[in-house]
Amino acid sequence: MLVEKVRGALRLAALNPAACALGLTRGMTLADAQAQTPALRVVVHQPDADAALLRQVLEDFGRFTPMAALDGETGLILDVTGCTHLFGDEAGLVRAVERRAGRIGLAVRTALAGTPQSARALARFGRSGKVYRPGQDRDAVRVLPISALELGEKDQQALTRAGLRTLGDLEDRPTAALAARFGSDLPVRLGRILGRDDVRITPLRPRAPCVVDRILFEPITETTDVEAVIGDLLVEAGVWLEQRSLGGRAFEVAFFRLDGATRRITVRTGRATRDASGVMRLFRERLAALSSPLDPGFGFDQLRLSVPVTQTLMAAQPGFEAPSTASRDLDGLIDRLTARLGPEAVSRFEPVESHLPERAARLVWAGRRESGTPWPARDPESPPLRPFQMFDPPQPIETVSLAPDGPPARFRWRRVTHDVARAEGPERIGGEWWRRPNHRTRDYYRVEDRDGRRFWLFRAGFYGDDPEPRWYIHGLFA
Amino acid sequence: MTGSSDAPAYAELAVASNFSFLRGASHPKSLILSAILRGHSGMGLADRNTVAGVVRAWTALNTLREEGLSPPEKLRDGGSPGETVFVEDPMNDPALSELVMARAQAFRLATGARLAFNDGTPDIVAYPENRAGWGRLTRLLTLGNRRAVKGQCEIGLADLLADPEDLLLIVMPERRLEGLEPLLSRMDQAVPGSVWVSAAMLRQGDDRRRLARLKSIAAAADVPLLAVNDVLYHDPSERDLQDVLTCIREGVTIEAAGRRLLANAERYLKPPLEMARLFTDAPEALDQTQVLLDRVGFDLKDLTYNYPQEPTPPGWSSQAWLEDLTWQHARMRYPDDVPARVEVLLHKELAFIQTQNFAPYFLTIHDIVRVANAKGILCQGRGSAANSAVCYVLGITCVDPAENDLLFERFLSDHRGEPPDIDVDFEHERREEIIQHIYERYGRHRAGIAATVIRYRPKSAIREVGKVLGLTEDVTARLAASQWGSWGSDIGDRHVEQAGLDPANPMIGRAVAMATRLLGFPRHLSQHVGGFILTQDRLDELVPIGNAAMPDRTFIEWDKDDIDDLRLMKVDVLALGMLTCIRKALDLMRDHEDAPYELHTVPTEQSDVYDMLCRGDSIGVFQVESRAQINMLPRLKPRTFYDLVIQVAIVRPGPIQGDMVHPYLRRRAGLEQPDYSKPGPGFNQNELREVLHKTLGVPLFQEQAMKVAMVAAEFSSKEANGLRKAMGTFRGDGTLWKYEGRMVNRMVERGYAPEFAQRCFDQIKGFGSYGFPESHAASFGKLVYISSFIKCRYPAAFACALLNAQPMGFYAPAQIVRDAQEHGVEIRPIDVNLSDWDNRLEGRPGSLALRLGFRQIDGFREAWARALMVARNPSFAGVEALARRASLPGAAMRKLADADAFRSIGLDRREALWAVRRLPDDAPLPLFAAADARELGEEEDAHLPQMRLGEHVAADYQTTRLSLKAHPMAILRPVFAGEGMLTCSELETKRSGTKVRTAGVVLVRQRPGKGNAIFITLEDETGVTNLVLWARMFEEYRRVVMAARLMGVEGVVEKSPEGVVHLMAHRVFDRSDELDRLSDGHRPEITLSRADEILRPQPSRHPTHAHPRNARILPGSRDFH
Repeated sequence: MLVEKVRGALRLAALNPAACALGLTRGMTLADAQAQTPALRVVVHQPDADAALLRQVLEDFGRFTPMAALDGETGLILDVTGCTHLFGDEAGLVRAVERRAGRIGLAVRTALAGTPQSARALARFGRSGKVYRPGQDRDAVRVLPISALELGEKDQQALTRAGLRTLGDLEDRPTAALAARFGSDLPVRLGRILGRDDVRITPLRPRAPCVVDRILFEPITETTDVEAVIGDLLVEAGVWLEQRSLGGRAFEVAFFRLDGATRRITVRTGRATRDASGVMRLFRERLAALSSPLDPGFGFDQLRLSVPVTQTLMAAQPGFEAPSTASRDLDGLIDRLTARLGPEAVSRFEPVESHLPERAARLVWAGRRESGTPWPARDPESPPLRPFQMFDPPQPIETVSLAPDGPPARFRWRRVTHDVARAEGPERIGGEWWRRPNHRTRDYYRVEDRDGRRFWLFRAGFYGDDPEPRWYIHGLFA
Repeated sequence: MTGSSDAPAYAELAVASNFSFLRGASHPKSLILSAILRGHSGMGLADRNTVAGVVRAWTALNTLREEGLSPPEKLRDGGSPGETVFVEDPMNDPALSELVMARAQAFRLATGARLAFNDGTPDIVAYPENRAGWGRLTRLLTLGNRRAVKGQCEIGLADLLADPEDLLLIVMPERRLEGLEPLLSRMDQAVPGSVWVSAAMLRQGDDRRRLARLKSIAAAADVPLLAVNDVLYHDPSERDLQDVLTCIREGVTIEAAGRRLLANAERYLKPPLEMARLFTDAPEALDQTQVLLDRVGFDLKDLTYNYPQEPTPPGWSSQAWLEDLTWQHARMRYPDDVPARVEVLLHKELAFIQTQNFAPYFLTIHDIVRVANAKGILCQGRGSAANSAVCYVLGITCVDPAENDLLFERFLSDHRGEPPDIDVDFEHERREEIIQHIYERYGRHRAGIAATVIRYRPKSAIREVGKVLGLTEDVTARLAASQWGSWGSDIGDRHVEQAGLDPANPMIGRAVAMATRLLGFPRHLSQHVGGFILTQDRLDELVPIGNAAMPDRTFIEWDKDDIDDLRLMKVDVLALGMLTCIRKALDLMRDHEDAPYELHTVPTEQSDVYDMLCRGDSIGVFQVESRAQINMLPRLKPRTFYDLVIQVAIVRPGPIQGDMVHPYLRRRAGLEQPDYSKPGPGFNQNELREVLHKTLGVPLFQEQAMKVAMVAAEFSSKEANGLRKAMGTFRGDGTLWKYEGRMVNRMVERGYAPEFAQRCFDQIKGFGSYGFPESHAASFGKLVYISSFIKCRYPAAFACALLNAQPMGFYAPAQIVRDAQEHGVEIRPIDVNLSDWDNRLEGRPGSLALRLGFRQIDGFREAWARALMVARNPSFAGVEALARRASLPGAAMRKLADADAFRSIGLDRREALWAVRRLPDDAPLPLFAAADARELGEEEDAHLPQMRLGEHVAADYQTTRLSLKAHPMAILRPVFAGEGMLTCSELETKRSGTKVRTAGVVLVRQRPGKGNAIFITLEDETGVTNLVLWARMFEEYRRVVMAARLMGVEGVVEKSPEGVVHLMAHRVFDRSDELDRLSDGHRPEITLSRADEILRPQPSRHPTHAHPRNARILPGSRDFH
């Protein structure tokens, strides 16, 4: 059973047959449903994931016909004109579709009829899996309930109250009278379902938002020529993007070779861009660093640049006085390093919300979008409370210190004894009780030895605890 | 833990309790006790922009001063009566109690607030130096509250400095210290010598460095440094709870909260020695805590209270005016002669009122009642002081002392040295007028509604904790749903298991443990339903006033317990639906039946009225209309007014849980002699007879249970008072169990049987959750009688008024209409040419018929009805003319057609709908109305099929929730008859023990008391059947019980000697699908009666939420598992 939040309450969004058999209905609140049947398995409804899956299935069903389209949130429509012979006959095609869906793990209802709307109505409200020959479908549709019109709840109720139950009942009534009462939409819908109007479907072909092509009458082989063409394409795409205030996060060049082989190369950027020379530089890096170099064979006769990932990029006016280029330079560097070394090789620190020092930061891919978590603010007047370098894990040390919460007077680390000249603390950091209930509280001290070296030490636990507290060194100050 | 004598004197002056909502993690009481045990010399409680918690702390301190530690605490409850196990609390060392008492005497409590500013100024803790300072502080908070939306407070530093006299101010520096020095200098100039700057050693790494800086800043500004620990909880073990509160406040999960949480557990009440060690660099900061405390010369007991003087005319003293009024009115009430008994009573009461100085209170109430009378709003008082002869003659109540001497002892006898208590009920539809009158008369600066502290209940606690700890919503929903209702005081493993979850699962276990600790924490303040506090002086100098969520409402920060503790006067202005109904009925009787009555002129003790009640014929009657009450009526057989008082009080969880009902019934029926349990020899053998003789030896009223505690368990009046309060707040903080051991043991010591003692206490426990004092029962009894009288003599007016006062009472319109029909009232259908908005009476006295009004149509608007009524002369002859003349939009016309209201035009529902649908959607603009006044063209006949009766009934139920055409079961009868199912009336004739099958639509489901049984009422075309389903079968049939609208049953008939019939269900079936047979696709909507427990207390916010398609079944239902 799937639930979603509607008007402040969790409501049932979709149910399996077992749940329907219990008398639960869509739109019911979860609380009501559980009051009736406490042992329900509930999963949060993810419409996006469902839509993505449906799109994927649509791609896959391209195997049956190129004319395939989404139909609402839960349906697909295939225009199989001229395709049926590949599967024996129409019934064979329906069986093939059902088999394929079964293999993907989907339960489907199908119908094959003369027009898309008839097929839709028959699949949803008639018998599943049936092929309606021309002429048959009309009779089949006439006995469908008026719910097949998929009108609003009120209109449907009004039709029921008027004693009209089936589409046939409607067809037999004067169209003008129906239109006067239920709007002109009703006769239109009725006409479509009855097959009087045939509305073709618009197939969906996944397409990048921006594609620019260059067909070359003279195939090219030289790298310089290739780069020149890519550069032109990038400028063209840049104009297209700028007109729409977009920038690309990924750029793909498809190299179509004379002999039909295709090679695709993609570069990604850390922030949205339409700067042709910048992206060109990335392509150059990428082409130079390819493990299997681009092989032109007898030459490329077509290059296609597409920008599959775009996001809004407003033209920004640089600051008048001190144009800040530092961050852009850094981004550029990251993009270049990433293009050359691969995304895994370039990383940066990102702050994490935690008091525990070892959890307060983590490494992420450098091009990853900023998480939005700010680094903790520092008091500019005070010395830094966190060291320059941290040990992971902290290293145990031996100390001489004062109970209950004094800093160590002397400590031994890596077989060297340090006499503490100055110390500040403690900074007490409790454990994260929800992660590790028995985590010991730590007292951190910043200490300086007689040679001026500064350390970050902590004691885990308190004196008098069992087991005895232990001391560690966690980092070095600059 | 107990501190040592050589420790320096220290008092923590920056303490936040859990009234710093979602910040502080300890109750004020825990903080006070901890501070005392740890050897602090005092404490300053300062919650964030509020003083809502200070009275709790003050009361807790007073209790410790007077009583020391709490008595032995019962630590475990065995589950059922008699199984209770007492465990000695190790904390309860008498020596420790003495020590605490001694320390509490010397302990000084400063009560103030921590001001959080909206202009970036660091927080400032403010304590009043004297009464004037308190007034300034509360005025400042009022200013901030009134500026902001509910629950917020907007104050700036300028507001404080505008009038900072008489306040002691502690600046609480933030992490960064910039700007602190100028602030201190500025403040010290404004209030020289009354400013401190605080320093806290919270182990943030740079504590000593920071202390040194603060010290030099303080020295530079010439402001003393004050040591604090900025306390958020009494003990470090509360850190996790505080973390959870932070997460709730910030709306994040604990995993994501990160640095929004505090890094460590240092914010607790540290022992003075530890504070001294932390402040070795600045010992003078510790001394300053004593300096500041010495200057606090204000105690909450200084809030002397002034009654408003308005109702007393100039030149009169309140007492003289009250006496004058009383005798004047007495002569009006008793035109012949004031009965001697009443005269004596009045003299006694007036003398008593004089000694207690209650006259202004009575005058205030009288004033409010007088205004209500002038506006024609019915009202009635109740409460301990209401059952006084003075109140009767002043028209505050209708219970005549001349006729009911039984009731008039309490006001004089067991006065508790507290303000008198009178609640006044008003017609629910018009109470707001009274509230606004009070605001107008006394002004917002002198009148305010008391607060209600909204606390965490198991449901809300587990929901919020679950969210913070990252449990998924369905798990928390299941945990929350495993509570029956929301009043439980603990979340047990049993509940967790009931929810199908494993209490041993660490995640669940932690969430439940944390939620248990959160129980009872204040969540926010809300306004009390109608408790007004009125003052002579400015109210905002007594307590801060804030905005309520409702427009035009303000409320004070203290709730009724605080007000009690401070002995302030409160007037409860409450709403009662039955009064609305009675007023409407009286109007109808006057206009149609020539029977002008008022509340106090209704003839009393009429035998036909009691005959009707004895038959159990009480649908719609106040208080005695529930299934349980209806079943009790034939057993109790009320014949006098006092019987009704008992009837009202007896069918309640208190007496039922205390097993008091059956003994009473047996004694009343003369089957057994009243048996007054007696104490051991040496005590007054008649002590219980004196308390209980009115009720045949069975304690039925709250006062009696209290009296039993005082007489039989020798509770001091203070203890009894504590017990009474614990009863009242049983739902709140559950202190009642503390008294259980005390009362039971003492009764047993005095020679009572342990079972009897336990039973007495169990009853008190029951009262705790649903208390019913005699004085309330008496006032309600009066309304029971009056509504019975109207129902008995004027059934048409009664039904009509009841329908017009909806929603109220236990029954849905369908049952009210049906009951009226059974009493010979003709009910006529809604019709566009004949109905008004309200239901109304037609015809002549003696043969009045009830014409249903447009208000019965779901979703029909009053404005449409009014427009239709205005345009109706002459009668409408067609739908087009109607739509045009009344300018009704399409939606209204469709609703009328749906309701089958066009019959007088000659159209049935289907024809009307077909015609109406054709009209344009919106009402034409007036200018174009004339231009549009053309007839729609003739059109071809659509030949719609005839609408069957079943479809009509289904549609009737869908639009008006009742059908005059037929009962759905009548149409389905062939189906059920074929299965051998009996009708309700056939079932009545069967002998006890007969196995039968029946079916009906579900009216009510109830699970009273401990929930051993579920009561379900089914209805068919012949009557109702009462079903009992044992709780152990509930799980098996849960889905059916929760979901079925039409239920089939197999069971055994059980008949009581009085002829009350029940069906003990063995199996139940969901036959709701049969409703579909009435019409294809749309079911009738059977409305459960309002008494349905699954439906009631938490009605869905969208009761008409459209279910998929038109399977519009029952509105959202109340959880009952």
